Amino acid sequence: MRPDLLKALGDSTRLAIFERLCTREHTVTELKSYFDVSQPAISQHLGILKHCDLVRERRSGRFAHYRARPEGLRPLATWLRHYQQFWPEKLSALSTVLKEIHDESR
Amino acid sequence: MNQGNEQIVVEYALTESPAKVWRALTEPELLARWLMQNDIVPIVGHKFNFRAQPMGDWNGVVDCEVLEVIPERKLVYSWQGGSTANDAYGHKLATTVTWTLEPATDNGTHLKLVHHGFHPDDFGFKAMGQGWRTKGQAIDSAAASA
Repeated sequence: MRPDLLKALGDSTRLAIFERLCTREHTVTELKSYFDVSQPAISQHLGILKHCDLVRERRSGRFAHYRARPEGLRPLATWLRHYQQFWPEKLSALSTVLKEIHDESR
Repeated sequence: MNQGNEQIVVEYALTESPAKVWRALTEPELLARWLMQNDIVPIVGHKFNFRAQPMGDWNGVVDCEVLEVIPERKLVYSWQGGSTANDAYGHKLATTVTWTLEPATDNGTHLKLVHHGFHPDDFGFKAMGQGWRTKGQAIDSAAASA
């Protein structure tokens, strides 16, 4: 359940962090070197990505390592699959209804 | 019909005029005949909903807010409905539906629907470009395993 999945990816910095974490695991310090934002800000972005199940954390000694969790994008996949079928059906119905309006106005 | 990974685009060539198509998009009774029961008013800021038959754990309601209105040309509203638990009803993501009507040479209408997860004015939508390809692949694999 991730109702704010799109919001999480709608922020440019978070999106960039997510993409970087798709390539390999990073620590917060490593991530900070790529972005012009503070470490607490990076941590906050990671928190939101984790909350949305887009990132997972692995503890190793003093360090936390972060990696993207592409499966977290699954709601997006199901949303697409549903509406890719839904809209063509509805638009087909619309074209029928439009013809009926035409008939009524005659 | 053209389908991207990040949005759904459906285009239709209709023989009816933009004025008539606009009515079918914005008059609740006509809209209900092809989409769902609703209380739409084409005024920016108007909150309305679509109501379908409840199914499973989805109450059948899609919550919307009118975001942009250019009479007989463009209609944009937010769209949030479906179930977070059952994939069959589409996931309850906060999305946007954009209708564009263009007069066609035969006095008909070229109707375009774009249903997307980011409003085009949002930075996130613009930022997708390059990066989205990575996610597109991830989505494909997620879809394959879903």
